[in-house]
Amino acid sequence: MSVQELGRRVSAARAETEARGETFYPGTSRIHLAAFPPKERWDDWVELDSRAWPERRERRYALVPTTCFNCESACGLLAYVDKDSLQIRKFEGNPEHPGSRGRNCAKGPATLNQITDPDRILHPLKRAGARGEGRWVQVTWDEVLDHLAARIRRAIVEGRRNEIMYHVGRPGEDGFTERILAAWGIDGHNSHTNICSSSARAGYAFWMGIDRPSPDYANADVILLISAHLESGHYFNPHAQRIMEAKQKGAKVIVLDTRMSNTTTHADHWLAPYPGSEAAILLAIANHLIQHGRYNREFVRRWWNWAEYMSAEHPDVLATFANFEHALKETYRDYTFEYAAAESGVEASAIEDIARLVASAGTRLATHTWRSAGSGNLGGWEVARCLFMLNALMGAVATEGGTYPNAWNKFVPRPIHVPPHPRTWNELSWPDEYPLAMFEMSFLLPHLLKEGRGRLDVYFTRVYNPVWTNPDGFSWIEMLKDESLVGLHVALTPTWSETAYFADYVLPMGHASERHDIHSYETHTGQWIALRQPIFRALRERLGDPVGDTREVNPGEVWEENEFWIELTWRIDPTGELGIRQYVESVEIPGTTLGLDEYYRYIFENSVPGLPARAAAAGTTPLEFMRRFGAYEIRACVGALHEEPVPASELADSMENRFGRVHTTAPARLSPNIVPLPTPAPDEAGRRPVGVNVDGQVLRGFPTPSGRLEFYSSTLAGWGWREHAIPTYVKSHVHPARLADGEMPLISTFRLPVHIHTRSANAKWLDEIAHTNPLWLHPSDAARLRVQTGDLVRVTTRIGHLVVKAWVTEGIRPGVVACSHHMGRWKLSDDGQRQMMRTVALRQSGTEWDLATTRSVAPFESADPDTRRIWWTDVGVHQNLAFPVQPDPVSGMHCWHQAVRVIKAEVGDRQGDIAVDIARSHEIFKEWMQLARPAARYSPDRTRRPYWLLRPLKPARDVYRLSLVETATAGAIR
Amino acid sequence: MLPRVPPRWTKVIDQTRCIGCHACTTACKSENHVPLSVTRTYVKAVEIGRFPQARRVFQVTRCNQCASAPCVTACPTSAMFKRPDGIVDFDTRSCVGCKACIAACPYDAIFINPENRTAEKCNFCAHRIDMGLEPACVVVCPTGALIVGDVGDPSSSVGAIISREPVTVRRPEMETQPQVFYKGAHPATLDPLAAGRPAGGLFMWSEQQPGPQMVVSGHVPLTNNSAAALLAYDVPHRVPWDWRVSLYTWTKSIAAGTYLVAAPLVLVGALDSGNSLWQWGAPISALLFLVLTGALLIADLEHPERFYLIFTRAQWGSWLVRGAFLITGYAAILTLHLAAPLIGSAQLRQALIAPGIPLALMTAVYTAYLFNQARARALWQNTLLPAHLAMQALVAGAAVLALASVWLAPAVVLLLLRIMAGAAGLHVLLIWGEAMVRHQTAHRRFATREMVAGRYAAYFWAGMAAMTVGVLAPWLGVALAALPLLGLMAYEHAYVQAGQVTPLA
Repeated sequence: MSVQELGRRVSAARAETEARGETFYPGTSRIHLAAFPPKERWDDWVELDSRAWPERRERRYALVPTTCFNCESACGLLAYVDKDSLQIRKFEGNPEHPGSRGRNCAKGPATLNQITDPDRILHPLKRAGARGEGRWVQVTWDEVLDHLAARIRRAIVEGRRNEIMYHVGRPGEDGFTERILAAWGIDGHNSHTNICSSSARAGYAFWMGIDRPSPDYANADVILLISAHLESGHYFNPHAQRIMEAKQKGAKVIVLDTRMSNTTTHADHWLAPYPGSEAAILLAIANHLIQHGRYNREFVRRWWNWAEYMSAEHPDVLATFANFEHALKETYRDYTFEYAAAESGVEASAIEDIARLVASAGTRLATHTWRSAGSGNLGGWEVARCLFMLNALMGAVATEGGTYPNAWNKFVPRPIHVPPHPRTWNELSWPDEYPLAMFEMSFLLPHLLKEGRGRLDVYFTRVYNPVWTNPDGFSWIEMLKDESLVGLHVALTPTWSETAYFADYVLPMGHASERHDIHSYETHTGQWIALRQPIFRALRERLGDPVGDTREVNPGEVWEENEFWIELTWRIDPTGELGIRQYVESVEIPGTTLGLDEYYRYIFENSVPGLPARAAAAGTTPLEFMRRFGAYEIRACVGALHEEPVPASELADSMENRFGRVHTTAPARLSPNIVPLPTPAPDEAGRRPVGVNVDGQVLRGFPTPSGRLEFYSSTLAGWGWREHAIPTYVKSHVHPARLADGEMPLISTFRLPVHIHTRSANAKWLDEIAHTNPLWLHPSDAARLRVQTGDLVRVTTRIGHLVVKAWVTEGIRPGVVACSHHMGRWKLSDDGQRQMMRTVALRQSGTEWDLATTRSVAPFESADPDTRRIWWTDVGVHQNLAFPVQPDPVSGMHCWHQAVRVIKAEVGDRQGDIAVDIARSHEIFKEWMQLARPAARYSPDRTRRPYWLLRPLKPARDVYRLSLVETATAGAIR
Repeated sequence: MLPRVPPRWTKVIDQTRCIGCHACTTACKSENHVPLSVTRTYVKAVEIGRFPQARRVFQVTRCNQCASAPCVTACPTSAMFKRPDGIVDFDTRSCVGCKACIAACPYDAIFINPENRTAEKCNFCAHRIDMGLEPACVVVCPTGALIVGDVGDPSSSVGAIISREPVTVRRPEMETQPQVFYKGAHPATLDPLAAGRPAGGLFMWSEQQPGPQMVVSGHVPLTNNSAAALLAYDVPHRVPWDWRVSLYTWTKSIAAGTYLVAAPLVLVGALDSGNSLWQWGAPISALLFLVLTGALLIADLEHPERFYLIFTRAQWGSWLVRGAFLITGYAAILTLHLAAPLIGSAQLRQALIAPGIPLALMTAVYTAYLFNQARARALWQNTLLPAHLAMQALVAGAAVLALASVWLAPAVVLLLLRIMAGAAGLHVLLIWGEAMVRHQTAHRRFATREMVAGRYAAYFWAGMAAMTVGVLAPWLGVALAALPLLGLMAYEHAYVQAGQVTPLA
């Protein structure tokens, strides 16, 4: 057959596709070539084999959508299934996905490596021998389920609900697992967020209640990043696309980053401040706007809770807007460019330049911070707060080109069962000392258990590697090895990890093409949902051969969590007498477990506006539609929801307080969107908050106590942090004044575009590109230390030291060092992730622990011939082990930056050596705890935490009450 | 607007959009089943400037789809070929693995695939183009930094960018007419020697890959760029030709030189035509070393069993093909010469001298043209290279003949030693002169430095010393004739290897 004939029959090019009446997906080049085959042909698409080329050998594929499981972006993927071999040939993007729009980062195509990884776990494993010995036996899922169900049931029945904990790293879905825990009636959700984004969330939450930003980059004039969103972070790929789109249209990009990230490459202005000084720079910009009247006065007058502020902080002054503006000027006038320059080491003129740029942006100012300075520094939550202050000053909130509250660009569809809030409070995740913590005090768990605050009977770690990812990993190992503290440790993971070694059960859960999840992420102004699904299950259903259990189609005995949790929950309460079983029970066939087809069919038919009509137009059912195309855009361009008027029907019997907050008795509308939102308290008469009076009109407003953007946070003021009532600059724990002689800050949190935490070590194409993490050192520091690139250096922290190679670069501020995340993986025996884990000897003597390399990574024989071609040996150093926990007293965030001393390595030092005294780390834990302001002492209303603040798996309101014992004690202290 | 038939495919890589994410790298690996340790495309990263005025720049690096492709010219079997639509494609079925394409490519874009052991490179995803799909890298790129099109099509953005915006190509002076244009690329990435090579075997998040056949990119000791520039990320690079190619030039020198020295001596009567040195001594040595040469050449192929394709699918533009036929022709002369008594022709040997001398000379010298086809291998772009090779043949031939003459024709030993000494002396002077002269380009100087003061210095100086001592052979005795012979081997190895270690990418 000639090329011409072949082309007419199967070409994806524009003329041929449109002649067949099919969908043409234009490629980037905007010529006749398509980016993807037309969706009408996704059941049976012919491609020419790239390896047989130039021989034209046809291969037939079925294209099935799913989403990437690597990072939270969950970008769309299309799996190409070879119809002859029934293997997945490759993953490309999904053009139907509104967030990723058919494109992916390096990790998307590398998903193929992860599912074909010769070291992946294919069967449930149970430990044989002691924890951490590395000996395993294969067991059945039935055995595991029965064992876990019995144990969990006993804990529930015996009133030990707080001894069951689910600790998640990457959720990759919206709410499913939280609802399972709610069904069990436990406050058992623990997460990684306090080593990730808690501080940024706190900063945003104190302003608008909603704790995440959603910048509309594509339409911005000025983009200000305290982040590295052109290479990492939620939602790297969709964000990078839109940031660069804006740049091509003329937008200016400002980046604040102490180290030279890839993102700074495209910054029109790159400022590299001393770590922890970012808020000073932001307040200098704010001050510039304030002093020169360059801010959006109408917006500030309408939407800031300035009246409340005046009443609280300037009660003797008339609460007019003019007086407020005057107070604003007075309050921030010391934040000059010169002050910011002195704190940050950045030229005052450079700060002034970006201030002018921000001033010129109007409402098209898209700003973003997520980890970065927030995650590094004591008081880092003020960075996000001060950054959002710029949006709040410019009125660039939920505007085109501005920053949205994320929840408005997110849709969590109501599922078939929504269990009630749990009626217990788990003090192991939510200790009283941190009432305002944005998420669980996860990284303190070993220390809290060591203090005798409780124990765990059943502990799940799920796509989470706390031994590696958290600070002070040796304390985690000590805790995990202690069966009196952790009765049963179950690791849910597709791949080996340092934490899974210390588990009792290692349960393989499916990867991107092997599991069900739905999610919705705030990648731009719009709401969409996407479905992750087991590829072969979807294919069989297309062929009219439905699958009842994903294990039928997954490799080995790999399962998926949706089904696992449903089955486990059923077995915990098989008769339903505990009231748990009902939440995983089928509605179509009562008395049986809820099948996933029914679960998702319900959601797609009932809870996603517009989807049934769209599916009908395509000639499919809603579930079929989602299985075929993978994603659905519910709404584009959401707009300024806070400006929406509240209809009169909702204002019957409403009351307005003196600051304009409106409460009503009208019941809330039941929405198909159950995205978690803050819950500002009802008034004294129990009326729910419904809006806020703005210039005589009752508008929706923001989900905060005042209904407005809280420049003044009554929450912070009320809970003992009066000095933080308004946005301010907090000097970091690594501020020069706080460092001892010879100490430098170490930035340990930056990430690479080709890896995702510890989950991508099983992707050979990614490992080949990036496998080691030398210490970034400025040439002036290198000269002082007499060190050049490749030399070993010893980095000493307050609890130990590590030995790492130096990378001398101009890409880091003099006097600061940096070392990247992801690398430094290790294993204790020869099994494990052989491509990226070196074998180490782990030694303990009393409280002194150390790690030393015994074998580097080397080529090996496996079913994959590529493992013979591994050419790298240096897989970096696990720096986190040498970091003590440093919890921020307000946000609960672990403040990652370390004060370190760096010297040339000593004789006998080898790369990868780490030594730590965990007695020291426990002392430092106690030091930092001293900074906290516990609820028992500072709560204004005898509750543990402000009820209105977002909280995962929020317990029932009465559970918020501090016990009488606690309040009595507090009274005694006072 | 219908696309032109056929389009001339061109690519634009927009570094003002590229964020250095490496999605193109993994998408290509996925689409084309590329094994570990080699790659069709990668993203080079260079750090420029001094804090805080610093920047990391990227360059997506792969085959340039040259309109005038040296790999196509160098390939003996047309395994590397150009399609009518401009794509430079490759055929794994007819590749013998000679690596002449890799040597010839000025951009180090070609590699030997460890799975099937044939030459491979970016081929524009021709299998997708023919299906109406964009290449895999173009589709995956989050920021749309890679686009393709027909530069002659006024409606294509590729044409607009190339014609109306400042674009650059890699190494334009190589006259390859690259069809991959860069928008916003920095000279520190375009010029392979612009960025400095980091110390310690390290890049910013990966290792340099050491090894005898490996070339690490970046300049040593200084950058060739006025802004401070440090190579922060690069992939491993392999040289195409190892010791087998070094050795083949030596065995070939002997093979050619023995006849090349003996025949004129017979012509002028200095050597009697009845002498056994002429009858069989010289031709047997020549044929023996010619067979060794052939064996080395075939052994160096990644697919030795396919060597015959060089003859059956001969692509006459390739000097590898021309050389193969020259060697074959010369072998025929030698065989006929040796078979003359059986044929019973007394005049045959004399008559064979007329074609024999040119064939012997060309056998010795054709390698200069083969090396010259590797146009970016600056050390080999030497107008005197044919003369060098001719000198080497004379030295090698005279040395072998002198040693053989001790037994077969003692009367001419001294004459042969004088010829050898003269050729060796001239050769050493030629080399010395070239090594001392300041060469035009950083690339040539880089290679020269590696040869005389770097990686191959030991071989080079051993060779030079041995050849120099050989000049004294007429006075010090025939045993010394072995020295320049062995010295040539060492020098040749230094020359052939050093010629390949200048970074090209």
